[in-house]
This record gives sequence, structure tokens and C-alpha cells, in this order.
Amino acid sequence: MTDSTILDLFPSASAGRFGRRQKRERGARLPVTIVTGFLGAGKTTLVQRFLKSSEGRGTALIVNEFGSEGIDDALLRESTDEVTLLGNGCLCCNTRSDLQLALRKLVADRDHGKIPHFGRVLIETSGLADISPILQTFSTDRALGDEFAVEVVVAVVDAVSGLKNLEKAPEARKQAILADRIVVSKTDIADTKARKKLLAMLEDLNPRAVIDVAVKGDIDPKSLTDTGQADAIERHSGFVAEASHSDGIVSFVMRDRAPLIWPVFQRSMETLIALRGPDLLRIKGLLNLAGSKGPVVFQAVQHLIHPPVELTEWPDQDHSSRVVFITRGISERQVDDLFKACRALGYSAEE
Amino acid sequence: MKRAKKIAAKKKPAKKPAKAKSASKTAKSAVKKPAIAKNGGKAGADGVVNWNFKVLSHHMLDGFGGMGEGMSIQIAPDGRRILWLAHESAPKNFTAVDVSDPRKPKVVCQTNLPQSHMRSNSLETCGNLMAVAYQTQKKGLQPAGMELFDISNPEKPKSISFFDCSGPHSRGVHQLWFCDGEYVHMASSSADFVPTHPQDDQFYRCIDVRNPSKPREVGRWHMPGTKQGDNVPPPPRHPLDKGYRAHNCNVYPQRPDRCYLAYIDGGMHVLDISDKANPKRISSWTNSPPYTGFMHTVVPLFDRGLMLVTDESTENNAKDWPKLVWILDARDESNLVPISTCPLPDHKAYAARGRFGAHNIHENVPLPTCWQSDQIVLGTFFNGGLRAYDISNPYQPQQIGVFVPPAPAGAPTGTIQLNDVFVDEREIVYTVDRHIGGLYCLEMDF
Repeated sequence: MTDSTILDLFPSASAGRFGRRQKRERGARLPVTIVTGFLGAGKTTLVQRFLKSSEGRGTALIVNEFGSEGIDDALLRESTDEVTLLGNGCLCCNTRSDLQLALRKLVADRDHGKIPHFGRVLIETSGLADISPILQTFSTDRALGDEFAVEVVVAVVDAVSGLKNLEKAPEARKQAILADRIVVSKTDIADTKARKKLLAMLEDLNPRAVIDVAVKGDIDPKSLTDTGQADAIERHSGFVAEASHSDGIVSFVMRDRAPLIWPVFQRSMETLIALRGPDLLRIKGLLNLAGSKGPVVFQAVQHLIHPPVELTEWPDQDHSSRVVFITRGISERQVDDLFKACRALGYSAEE
Repeated sequence: MKRAKKIAAKKKPAKKPAKAKSASKTAKSAVKKPAIAKNGGKAGADGVVNWNFKVLSHHMLDGFGGMGEGMSIQIAPDGRRILWLAHESAPKNFTAVDVSDPRKPKVVCQTNLPQSHMRSNSLETCGNLMAVAYQTQKKGLQPAGMELFDISNPEKPKSISFFDCSGPHSRGVHQLWFCDGEYVHMASSSADFVPTHPQDDQFYRCIDVRNPSKPREVGRWHMPGTKQGDNVPPPPRHPLDKGYRAHNCNVYPQRPDRCYLAYIDGGMHVLDISDKANPKRISSWTNSPPYTGFMHTVVPLFDRGLMLVTDESTENNAKDWPKLVWILDARDESNLVPISTCPLPDHKAYAARGRFGAHNIHENVPLPTCWQSDQIVLGTFFNGGLRAYDISNPYQPQQIGVFVPPAPAGAPTGTIQLNDVFVDEREIVYTVDRHIGGLYCLEMDF
């Protein structure tokens, strides 16, 4: 085995450790929006409005029902995915089988001219869906990570029964915790007290997420294309106590001002994954790596690390590494200790 | 050599100021809103696609939008950014477009050819000097050669000299390369060249233009066997028989002693031109047979030890499919190894009308007004549109952008036929239609 890379064979001053430096996180990949939310939360209303907006033009909608319970296995295997053409250059595909296969078929059909060209994929999950497997599907180039990039995960929570769902259903809590944005729907028919309580709980569960309030289903379509995560770290600043009803799920931000050594960071992450992979629900952030000109986007979901992407520029003046961890039962202290230990060993190895 | 007076093109705006005013009015009205927005990326009958490009403007070039493969940017003495474009065929010679604001391109000059049996096809600018190639439809016709212009006033290009390349076996100049202000490297014939096959008339010539009023040839090279009297037999003909003749002859300051020469049915050649009077072949590579010839452009990526080599599709209805952009491992210039091609979509979706396949790519012209990249390849593929590829891993080029606009009104093939592409240092992409559609200004969004 050799440590040589493509850059050693064909060097380039304009490329980084991870290939071409990209202007944005998703590079040239197809943006994917995932809309999740409990049964009756108002996902469909939100999605339908988006598809009719100028931002939603040319979207392939995938209504994902594979997570639904109560559907016979035999039926699942026999059913076929069909594509329906909608207005505004959009199309819709109901998939009850494998999401990966459905997306591959959509792209192949598009490239063969069988269906219209689309520029975005919107996945509407079933009410009870756990989005972890969906995020995993997009997280490596072995699956869909080469062509698709999850841009926004939106959780829709309705102001009328949302609080009750969050209290009773762990699926609903996980959806809110993993989201980049939370849309609170049906606020026009909910009482003010309940709404306030719901907002407080959502902020408690997920301090990073932007919370949008939809009145009569109206929401800025950009909520489905923009994570609003530019200042998420700031919202998440400081120590965040474990939220009630969070099922042991915690989140924290790891920060480092000194440039990180990639092999050390990589080994630390690999160790963490080897020991606690299933408990790493979502890890995402920017790294300031020694030897890299721009920030490196790092993402991992459970045991899968997404191929890192080096950006051409830092988004702001802050050039420190900052990574959000959403874990089940792994504390900030434990992660910090692991990284410190690896760093110490890494430096001694270099000496 | 003849004086250029006969050739000097007529300049439309120079005739009457009043006419110039109306022309600018036409130009303004010809700036269309991006056609793509209306379609929203929805595939039309001809596979309209816009993926990761932003359309800034589309200009029909005042009804003469059939463009060749000469695209060059000049920063005029008054600071305007002028894009000079060669026309694919008569009656127009070249058009100058003010692209200072790429959202509002303005035609500032459009000239006529003196004869309908000729075409300009190729041009390059360097400072305020422009070289234009003239090729005739048939051998033995005139004017055939290369003309130099002073373009310090873009509205009124002034002919400086004409370098005659006509002859009984010559069609003149098809393509030229000029970016150092000193030498024009061109695919040309000459009065004294007698090819072994009538199709093989154009070869590599190096013209010293350090005194622009007196261009003179300093060197030439032809593929052995293509000239009568050669001591090797003529090469075998390919089925489409487009000729063993020179096409692009690129020379870069990183290696001023090398010419990267595409030779149509004769593959491509790396020439040592350290002694300009005696170019020597270092290596060659061809894909034909089994492919069908017409090698078009060679672009070395010096830092990376890579080379991009393009074919040109010349047949309608994808009859010559596949026509590709090839990536060569050129770490050892004497042993070029093809390692991949830039992937194209299924040709059947595009085969119905017009040409489909590779043609021109962005060539990293070594000028401050030209974008330089060894990570992205941008190429035009006729009705396959403009396509961008990430070649950070040259073994696995990945398509990262596609622009297939709707067929321009009156398009003879009923489809777009994107012919050439140029990217300036602001990363604005300019691409032109071969028949009628004129100029599209785009932004890369990847």
C-alpha cells in the first residue's frame, strides 16, 4: 500500500488535498431537500407551495413511503415507482422501495431524455420516518454522495398537536433534533400559550435550527433551499444542557483555533466511529486544516464519513475549526479527551 | 505578400454615424432575456438543459449569429472589455462585442468579408493587435491567408498587413494561435506546397509578426507523406477522409519550445520548435482507426503532466459518434498514454438533428484576460451544448455543468449547435452557436 494520491501523480497548485476547491459545499452535486415531520404536520401543504414557487421550479419530488409501517413486505417488493409530471417543470415519484434505486433511475431517465431535466430533489418522508438511514444514503460516494448533496433537512411541526407529538413520540423528537430548519405550521389555529411552549421546547431540543413560523401555510420558499446554518454555531454557543425528552441525544460544538492536522483528525474520527458509530447521529462542520488554503467541510453520519470538500473561501472572518456533534450519549468531554489524546500521539509521531 | 487594402473589411459603424446609432439600437433590442428562465430547466423536444450555469445574456449578434472558432478578449485602450468573434461563414468577417457588462453585451463592430467564397473562422488578439485567418471554399481562390489588424479603436479596426497563403493547391488558413505578440502559429497551406492528396493541403507554419507590417514565415512542419516528394508513402485514408492537415497549433510560455499540434485525420503531434526553422516531432498519438479521425485541439496542463485532446464531430445525426474529449497522461511527453474521456450522455437523445459531439474546449490561452484552470474542462458539443467536467481525478472525469439552450429561431438543424467557448479571467463563460444563435454569456455555478 502506498500513501500516494492523485495529487502526487498529477500535481496542481489549484487543487487541495481533497481535489478541486469548490465555491460551495455541495459543489456541482444535485441539491437535496429532505422534508420530514410527524403525521398531519402539514408537510404536503408546504411541499406543494414550494413546487409552485420560482425556487421550486424544476424539482423532482420523491414521496418516500418506505419508512411507513403496516405495509406488507410482499407488497413493498411488488410495487413499482412511477413518475408523474407536475407543473412548473417539476415531477413526482412515489417510492416504496429503495430510495437509492429510485434516485438512480430518476437520474438515468433524465440523462436518457425520458423525463424532464430537474435541478433539485425534494424528499418528502413518511410521518414516522427516521431520517438517519436517508442521511446515510447520501453520505458516501459508494451510495449517492457523489451526485447528490443534502442541502437542507426541514422538520415540519404543527402548532396544534406538535407539542403532544414531541412529548410522546421519540421519532418526532429525533426529526426535530436532526433538522437544519424547523417550520412550525398551523399557527393560525393554535392558541398562543401552546405555541410559545412548543417554540421553547424546539429551541431546547435543537438550538442550531432556524425556526420559521408558517401562517396559513405561507412560508418563504427559501426555507426549503437554504439551511440558514451560517450563524448556527453562534446560536449554539456555550454549553447546552441535555434537553428534556431528548432520549439521551446531546449536541455540542467542538472548536479549535489552531490548524488541525488532517491525519490526526481523521484517526480521531475513525476511532470515535469504531467505538461509537451508531451513536453519532450527525456531525458537520468546517475544519481549518494545516496545509489547506480554504476551509474543509467535514460531515459524518453514524459510521460513514462523507468525502471532505475544500472550499475556496471561508464564509466569514472566523477561521477556527468548528464542528457540530449530535450524538446519543457521547459527551463533549469524551470527544474532547479523545481528540486531545490523538493530537498528543500524532505530534509525538511527527517528531 | 500583398497589401491589405483589397482585403480590408468594410466596417459597418464606420460608414455613417446615424447608422451606427441605429445599429446600437438593434444591438440593444437583440439582447434577450435568458431563454432558460422561461423553461426552468425543463427538457424540451431538443433536450434543453441548464445545470450549474447561470445565463447572464444572449445576443443574436444583429442577425449574423453563425460563429466560428475564434474568440478573444481585448481590454481596449479606453478600458472597455471587447470580445472579438470570428464568423463561421460569409458574409461576415468578425464581430466585436463590448462585454464589459456581460449582462448587457453590445455589438461595437461587425465587418464584411470581401468575397463570399471565403470564411474567417479563426482569430486571436494580443494587446491591440489581431490576427484573422482566411480560408477559401476551393483551392486556388483568393484571398487566402492571414490579416493583421490594429484594433486600438475597436469600432474601427485598421488593416496593417495581409500575409498571402494562396496557391493552386491551397485553401489558405483555417486556424491560428497568437498570444505572445511575436509569432502567429497557424494551420495553413502555401503556394509552394503540393500535397500528395488534395485534402492534405494545410500544415503547421510559424509566422514572425514582430514587425506587423511585414509578417514573414520562419518555420513549417508537415506530416511526413503528405507532401509530394516525401520519402515516405502517403498515409492511408480514413473512411470520412477529412484530410491529414493541421488544425490547432497551440504554443504556451511554459514551454515556448513546444507546439501542441492537432492534425485532423493524422492524430496529434508534439513538436520541438526550439529551432523554429526546423521543427522536430517528439511524439504523436492518434485514436484513429478505430475512431474516425478529425483530431482538433491539444491543450497541455503543464503542472499536472496531463494533456487534453479533442475530436471534432463533423457529421449530422451523430453518424460519427463517439466524438470525445480525451485525457492523456503526458508526464513523459515521448510516451502519451490515454487514460480517460469526458463522459457524454447517450447520443440517441441528441442524434436526431445536427451535429453531436466534441469540438472546441477552453484552451487556457496564456493572456491575463483568460481564465486558467487545470481542474475543469469546458467544451462545446454542438447540440450536446456546453459541458463542464471536473478532472481533479483525471482517471474519472465528472460532469459538473451542462448548458443546452433552446434552438435559436431559424436554426437550420432545429437545434442549438454550440461551436466554441472562451472563459475570461472574471470566470465569465462565452459560448457561440455555429449557425445562427450568436453569443451566450454565462456564469459557472459549480
